[in-house]
Amino acid sequence: MKASLPMSNSSTVATDNRKRVLQFLGKHGILLAFLLCMMIFSLTTDRFLSTGNLLTVLMQVSILGTIALGVTFVVIGGNLDLSVGSLLSFATVLVVDLHDKVGPTQAIVLTIVFTLIIGAINGTLVGYLKLNSLIVTLGMLSAIQGITLIYTSGQNVDIQDQENTWFAFFGREAIFGIPVPAIIFIGLAIILQVVLLKTAFGRKVFAIGGNGVAAAFSGIYRNRMVFSTYLLSAFTTACAAIILGSRVMGSQNNVGQGYELQVLAGVILGGTSLLGGSGSIMRTVIGILILGFIQNGLLLLGYPYYAQWLVTWVVIILAVWLDIAAKRGRLLNDF
Amino acid sequence: MHAFIQSVKRQPIWLFIIACIIFFSFSNEYFFAVNNFQNILVQTSTIGLIALGMTFVMINGNIDLSVGSTVALAASLAVGLQGALGIPMAVVIGLGAGVLIGAINGLIVWKTGVDAFIVTLGAMIGVRGLVFVYTEEQSFYASNFAYSDFGMSSIFSLPVLALIFIALTIVAHILLKYTLHGRNVYAVGGNRKAAIEAGIKVGPHMLINFMLIGFMAALSGILLSTQMGASTPNLGRDYELWTITAVVLGGTRLNGGAGTIIGTLGGVLAIGILRNGMNLMQVPSFYVLVIMGSILITVLFLDKRLNVTASKGVQI
Amino acid sequence: MSHNRPNPSHKTLASTALKSVVASFTVAALSMGVAQAEDRLRIGITQNNVGVDSYQTTYETAFKEAAAQRDDVATVVLDAGGDVARQIAQMQDLIQQNVDAIIIWPTNGQAVVPVVRQAHNAGIPVVVTNSNIAEAGQDFIASFSGPNNILQGQYSAEMMCDQLGGEGQIVQITGQPGYTTAIERQKGFEDRLAEICPDVDLMESQPGDWNREKAQRVMEGFLTKYDTIDGVYSGDDNMGVGALNAAKAAGRADEIKFFGATNFAVGYEAMERGEYHGSVYQSPAEDARNALQTAIDVANGEDVPKLNYFDTPKITQDNMSEFEKPVF
Repeated sequence: MKASLPMSNSSTVATDNRKRVLQFLGKHGILLAFLLCMMIFSLTTDRFLSTGNLLTVLMQVSILGTIALGVTFVVIGGNLDLSVGSLLSFATVLVVDLHDKVGPTQAIVLTIVFTLIIGAINGTLVGYLKLNSLIVTLGMLSAIQGITLIYTSGQNVDIQDQENTWFAFFGREAIFGIPVPAIIFIGLAIILQVVLLKTAFGRKVFAIGGNGVAAAFSGIYRNRMVFSTYLLSAFTTACAAIILGSRVMGSQNNVGQGYELQVLAGVILGGTSLLGGSGSIMRTVIGILILGFIQNGLLLLGYPYYAQWLVTWVVIILAVWLDIAAKRGRLLNDF
Repeated sequence: MHAFIQSVKRQPIWLFIIACIIFFSFSNEYFFAVNNFQNILVQTSTIGLIALGMTFVMINGNIDLSVGSTVALAASLAVGLQGALGIPMAVVIGLGAGVLIGAINGLIVWKTGVDAFIVTLGAMIGVRGLVFVYTEEQSFYASNFAYSDFGMSSIFSLPVLALIFIALTIVAHILLKYTLHGRNVYAVGGNRKAAIEAGIKVGPHMLINFMLIGFMAALSGILLSTQMGASTPNLGRDYELWTITAVVLGGTRLNGGAGTIIGTLGGVLAIGILRNGMNLMQVPSFYVLVIMGSILITVLFLDKRLNVTASKGVQI
Repeated sequence: MSHNRPNPSHKTLASTALKSVVASFTVAALSMGVAQAEDRLRIGITQNNVGVDSYQTTYETAFKEAAAQRDDVATVVLDAGGDVARQIAQMQDLIQQNVDAIIIWPTNGQAVVPVVRQAHNAGIPVVVTNSNIAEAGQDFIASFSGPNNILQGQYSAEMMCDQLGGEGQIVQITGQPGYTTAIERQKGFEDRLAEICPDVDLMESQPGDWNREKAQRVMEGFLTKYDTIDGVYSGDDNMGVGALNAAKAAGRADEIKFFGATNFAVGYEAMERGEYHGSVYQSPAEDARNALQTAIDVANGEDVPKLNYFDTPKITQDNMSEFEKPVF
């Protein structure tokens, strides 16, 4: 495809066609990319398209994916959340440590409560105090990691009786052959997609991230909505922590390190704009799945683990470019 | 000189630095010493050099998350190739790689219109991949001690690395404040549409700034490798975060349009002094994380408050 | 850009805020108690990455306890957080304080050589702990104190070879790429295995980054990819237990032998249950005490051996009763 910078009037038909192609790609490009990537791996490695492998990948991305669901709301609202990596470490350590001390039910409840409190701090700083979300959540990333280490004095935490606790349900069991982590991930995705598209809450999240913020809504209103999106991302992070804690039955203090950027990569790949105001849960799910399948497929093909980083680089930029080009109606920028 | 004092007054971060220096001087006997200040300058030069470039990019309204990976790439090339090509050629190639990564980022931002955050997030992941492909996960070391002697050397009893940092800070300050390119940096960041209408070639302008930060990141990586006499594939992880932190602490707006090199210098020194002081006082590392995070948010909060009052004052 | 007018509220707000920041700092400083006697030996340590796993944390605790028991020693305990540049800065800070000896737990065996040389040139003896620095730096250290990681890799290869009966297909989960301990264990294991067990086929190695969950994911990949896996070697037990978790979930744990290094409590317990087959027993407390004692001896001008290894025996289901359960 060659650049279409100088637009001549004689080729309007061709331009229209090109526009249509671009718009189609922008709308369905992510799905096409997903299918393309599945096809390539299915043809090149015979183990890829087995039920066992597909379920393994689904389970492996479910922790990342569950967090990405909440972060999608934050990003649609026009903000970022880089603290989720540390928050995942914090919540996993907490749920594992409390499991033996107060029992599984109480551990889960307390973990969700404490994680929501940290989400509320994020939400207050960004929503009510209107501080820049990138820097606030960067600061929280560091602070939460420190708090986690202080809490455990740096020790690993473990669940002693791993064989006889129903806590194993969340990370280790399967229903009709489908791993529970995958069920939680997909279940939450469906619920949150409905919330985003069919409820007043969802519409308001789009509205605060969109352009006409000041015109359409009062300040207090925006603040409350931003606050809520951070509560939501804290909640989905707590859910991910419960899966992770149950899966490993133990935790290191830095178990979530680096998750924040992978989550963001998945959300962006799904086409959610960093400027806010647009995005979709289903597309985030596909974005996360693409990342998971690229990683899995390349490893099955025998490439070193860092090959996936190079592919991710190209895929992210192509995906977002296509999306923007479709909205613009042209492939290249005009300055 | 007057302008300098004005800048200092405008940057609350310098008051914070003075408070830190006073505090650490009274609480630790080793802090207030020429040697220690030299240490701080050398230690901050790594993040500092990148931050100089980041200031241009961020005033432009862009951001560069790939600098940490570029640090590792340049250091690995400079150390890995010097056995075969000699030190000067290897260093040139390392610097060139940094400029090239910057050019790729800049071109993509310019031509595709994809947000710089996304473009450089991709590059951050991908360039790290390149580093691992090139190094095959290995650390390299400089067999010639002359290389690491450079990193430890002094001129007029000032460490060379500190001198390079100070010199480039002055150059960056002049470039940003007194040249056409510098004025355009603010114009493009303040109002991109107006800048285009005013005839500024916004695309090439941003490209140059990305190449500038690529160069600075590469230089930072190479100078760091002269301190180590070696390079490691994991070098520079999280540097993008600390660099952005330093630049924002120094008063540069994340949305672009405002910021100064003097402020950035303050932000970098603040982080360096805090780390050094807490080291000397043996603050446990777990608490350092909490303190650094809290200070970052507190300074952001204060800065916001001060600016709100200031801009209200202007309006009335 | 134009908010640079002199503004009264500007100043007051800033100074009040700064006062409170300074005040909270002072409280922090007082609560830590920085008083120290001048006549004691001053020993500084910069550690690799405390808190990344229990071994390093237990090491630090044991080090501080051991130091507290000595009236003649004051310590400066620092942590590099895994960052080479920060470790170099900490070394410089310790040189600046002119301590009597420096202990370094290298974040990278090669990259710290120049700064170790700098300390040596400043007349401060350096003791390397836990994992050694590169050959080029050996002239500048007073002593290395720690386990022999290459030997540990060899031990694991021997146990693997022994329990597999000399043949089989195995996979390896290594530590964080680029870190000396990971590299040395991998090298020791691979070289020794090829030597004594040519019929054991090492099919693939992937890094688990010292992280149990990551190791679990890597093992899930291996289990999908290979129908037959007879043995797994992990760079430490923390990752080894992750591999075991994955195999149990896939219902294939019974057909696989699991070997690790640095016996963790979870590894010890799995061994008790008969699910885990061998590891190398390494006490972080002994590691720490060994390093401190070496540093004290060096600072007092006594002669110490250049390579001061402490014993790290093999531990298997057969002999595990001779060992106490690790505390980490």
